[in-house]
Amino acid sequence: MPVAAYQWSLIWQNKDLLLKGLLVALECAGPALIIAIVIGLLLALARMGRPPLAWLATVYINIFRGVPALVSVIWVYFGWSLLFGINFTVVEAAVIALVLLYSSFLSEIFRSALLSVPRGQREAGLALGMHPLRVFAQVVIPQATRVALPNVGSMLIGMLKDTSTFSVIGLAELTYTVQNIESVTFQPFVLFTALAAVYVAAAFVIDFIFRTIEKSLTTPPKGRVSGALTRRRRRRLELLVERLEAVV
Amino acid sequence: MSAANTSPADESPRAPAVRGEIVVQLTGITKSFGAREVLHGVDLSVHSGEHVVIFGPSGSGKSTLLRTINLLEPPDSGSVRILDVEYGPAGDGEQRRGGPVELRRLVGMVFQQFNLFPHLTALDNIGLPLRAAMHLGRSEAEERAAAALKRVGLLRWAAHYPAELSGGQQQRVAIARALSLDPKVMLFDEPTSALDPELVGEVLAVMRSVAESGMTMVVVTHELNFAREIGDLNVFMDEGLIAESGPRGFLDSCANPRTRQFIAAVL
Repeated sequence: MPVAAYQWSLIWQNKDLLLKGLLVALECAGPALIIAIVIGLLLALARMGRPPLAWLATVYINIFRGVPALVSVIWVYFGWSLLFGINFTVVEAAVIALVLLYSSFLSEIFRSALLSVPRGQREAGLALGMHPLRVFAQVVIPQATRVALPNVGSMLIGMLKDTSTFSVIGLAELTYTVQNIESVTFQPFVLFTALAAVYVAAAFVIDFIFRTIEKSLTTPPKGRVSGALTRRRRRRLELLVERLEAVV
Repeated sequence: MSAANTSPADESPRAPAVRGEIVVQLTGITKSFGAREVLHGVDLSVHSGEHVVIFGPSGSGKSTLLRTINLLEPPDSGSVRILDVEYGPAGDGEQRRGGPVELRRLVGMVFQQFNLFPHLTALDNIGLPLRAAMHLGRSEAEERAAAALKRVGLLRWAAHYPAELSGGQQQRVAIARALSLDPKVMLFDEPTSALDPELVGEVLAVMRSVAESGMTMVVVTHELNFAREIGDLNVFMDEGLIAESGPRGFLDSCANPRTRQFIAAVL
């Protein structure tokens, strides 16, 4: 087939559809990430705690770590309907499927991050009379977050890619959209190249966002964003120091 | 054995002549890690304004004993009384009892590894517990934190993170952090052991000024020259028990050959 037969202009012609498909994918992956972070943290704490909760968490993690996204979404969408009569919309099923899988991955990320915070940090917080929950929230979590963050970014990229298999339940996400366009234009090479490019670009953006957050969490904070955020506070501190230094 | 046999032997200017009320009273403290018992029933009384120095070989239980005072190591049996409130497993029904959070608001602690919060500036390291434990407002906490930093000579470093400070400076911030909560007694767990030798002096100088301010202190240390200087009650621990203790001058006049041998080896 001559090169001229590749209709690259198709990409531009269908840019709105592609963008809409990406947004649908993000609409599933975004909320799923937030819910999976919460459940993943609870799972990590359960696993680090006492049995039988620790055993239950371990069983959950080991099951859902091993289930492919395609199987998970079919199971949620069709299986729950058959078993319990619960009918989810495709978006709901997609979010639940992602949460089931990624909460188990995230819980392992969180567990190692929590364990990376030295014991003395918790002890110091307690010794200063802080309530154990405040020590966890204000001493342990901020330090663990810094350790976990790069991996959480990778998880979001993984979730976005996994939405591509959800065309199987008819979710109108990016891959589903491209398959539809392809079925009327017969330009698989052009369209799937564009598809890959959109996923890669999205991954770049996600990576950039997480790197920016990561930079602002290093101590001292690096990067322009965090510099702008902390400028006022720094100035206020300088004034406080100046005023107190003046008092002998 | 009881360690409450102190008598003012020599009238050093740093010796608090007046013996106040009992701030810390440990009775019959035992503690095991697994099958190994590391404290075999220890008694210790610390009076208001008194400076107690605990020394002894590694593994003698001195750090564990110190950590039972603020229940970082809850004792298996025995009584932990702070200002006549019982926090340990012992105690009769009559005695008023308190929980660990309440206890720790009365007891400050300084650790061997400083344990500053690395994600917070020097100022916020002090401000966080002021807000979280003492429920001060933000600006009040900052004012008080800044005053505490000034006390240890580090106000200029307020906006710096622990990683940007030397070990000696970090430990001084840690001391300021514990002091800012206005504790009734300060515990020091080998505060200079993790420091480069040239940085030990600045930390000891701060501790000396804390001692001179009349603060009640319990210090676990290998710095016996410093111990000789501030110690109103000197406690030698060996194998999970107080082997011998004595008042000011004890380090030069102790009778127990094991104590003498240890002092000779360290000094």
